Amino acid sequence: MPKVIASAPNAGGRHQRGRRVGPTLSEINVVPLVDVMLVLLIIFMVAAPMLQRGVEVNLPVASRSQEIASDRVFVDLPASYREDRRVYIDKEPVRLDFLAERVRQVMLNRTDKLVYLRGDGEVNLQELMEVFDRLKEAGIQNVGIVSRLPGEQ
Amino acid sequence: MTMRQVVWALAAAAGSVLGAQEPAPQQPSEVAVVISGDPGTPPRYAVPDFISLTPDAAGLAKTVGQVLWDDLAFEREFYLIPRDTYATIPVARSPDQVPFAAWRELGSDAVVFGTIARTGNDVRVEVRLFNIRTRQSVFSKEYTGSANNPRLYAHTIADEIHQQQRALRGVARTKIAFSSDRNRERMVGTVENRDVKEIYIADYDGANARRITTSRQLNLTPVWSPDARAIAYTSYRRGYPDLFVALIYQGVQEEPTRGGTQNWLPMFSPDGTRIVFTSSRDGNPELYLMNRDGTGLRRLTTHPAIDTSPTWSPTGTQIAFTSDRAGTPQIYIVGADGLNLRRLTTAESYADRPTWSPAPFNEIAFAARTGPGYDIKVYDLATGATRQITFGEGSNESPTYAPNGRHLAFTSTRTGRSQIFTLGRDGRGLRQVTRDGNNNTPAWSN
Repeated sequence: MPKVIASAPNAGGRHQRGRRVGPTLSEINVVPLVDVMLVLLIIFMVAAPMLQRGVEVNLPVASRSQEIASDRVFVDLPASYREDRRVYIDKEPVRLDFLAERVRQVMLNRTDKLVYLRGDGEVNLQELMEVFDRLKEAGIQNVGIVSRLPGEQ
Repeated sequence: MTMRQVVWALAAAAGSVLGAQEPAPQQPSEVAVVISGDPGTPPRYAVPDFISLTPDAAGLAKTVGQVLWDDLAFEREFYLIPRDTYATIPVARSPDQVPFAAWRELGSDAVVFGTIARTGNDVRVEVRLFNIRTRQSVFSKEYTGSANNPRLYAHTIADEIHQQQRALRGVARTKIAFSSDRNRERMVGTVENRDVKEIYIADYDGANARRITTSRQLNLTPVWSPDARAIAYTSYRRGYPDLFVALIYQGVQEEPTRGGTQNWLPMFSPDGTRIVFTSSRDGNPELYLMNRDGTGLRRLTTHPAIDTSPTWSPTGTQIAFTSDRAGTPQIYIVGADGLNLRRLTTAESYADRPTWSPAPFNEIAFAARTGPGYDIKVYDLATGATRQITFGEGSNESPTYAPNGRHLAFTSTRTGRSQIFTLGRDGRGLRQVTRDGNNNTPAWSN
């Protein structure tokens, strides 16, 4: 519903000749919101059946891991990323350049803008941030980092 | 249809070999021609730039790729992978170089490969559609013609891909007629200095806009004949509203009502032989029917209130119109024989400009007052339910359906001036068609 813009002396004078009705200007600025939300939601979990074909990911160990449901989007970040710049979505290799678009495709039918990252313990922070950058580009607001309990494979 | 004929005509004039050459199927009985996506998701298409085989065709190649992407995205049958993600994929110079693995990694189910070669003002466009999984070509065509309008090749390819992959009649080659003051001319022969409106036609996406009338008067409410070769409209060139029919490809003007009375808002019957219109020749505005040449005039409504804005049902047996006989303007339906009149809208405070959807959807779109402006609503004739598809962004008026019934064009003031937009019949997929001047009363061609 359009609102009549109140006639302040210097507010948007060009847009209100006569009894002109304009669109409301109040919209949430999403960019800072995304910035804040992207601060990690770290979720500890017990390593589910993890090491399927192809990708070998040595999850970091955390003593307070919790179960998470299986109907989630997982992005695997194996140690081999350092050589080939490839991560894995559903066990399918995806080069870093395409990650944002592929995640966007996966997210089309989902309402939660959330992925779980199964990163190898060897991955360093720089590499992690490269992946986060692409996830952010795809509109992901929360990233959960997956870990395993001590002594678990 | 018409534009297709134009391509053929151009090609024939150039004396070149024309038409589509289907390659022999590699596995005649087993090849799946339709490309499907992952279960529950639409197939994902990648449309990179076409390859320019001659140095002077580079601009054409880029245009065709971009327009084809836009055309395929318009029907929302496929997910079109954004073109800025293709940058790191190697460019294929020939069909056997298409990097299927890279396209697959980008999530693509189908990729278009096309080439353009230019000789003088003639171009030769070849296009293939590859199934990424099977690496087979499922669509392969070749077009020759003029280099003047490269967008037409993309429109033709898009319509043929929609037809083959989805059995869907695309609208990429259709046109929209509208009334516009974009030339900023002033009215001649009057003391006052007033704006004029002329009739324009443009491609469905707003490109290739062309002026149809040059009378420097008010020219309003164009409608297309079913064969898309003529436009009927209301003009004030005689000082009062009267009907004219412009045969746009012949440059001929017809005057079926021949002056003397006030007539406006014409609409062709679905078979193109008759015109229904509003006239005040007998005192107050009523609906009249006539043959296209002005003979066989017959009065359709008889009521002291105003009856106006008629639209035909797709079968030609009924006419919906606006009448204020109940106190406020509402939508009514009457048989083309003048019988069986009934009121349609009851919950609106003000309803005007009905337009009847083509098959397969049996519904009527109209403009309804919602607060300070108007919004587009759709009345479903089977259930009697009304749904709203625009929501108070500016004033939204004058809906017209695309020939496949899946989209509407309408006038909206949401960006400030009055512009034409297209929108899916589900209220999604808004696109702005015009940007120059004020543009009103769109009509979508067949």
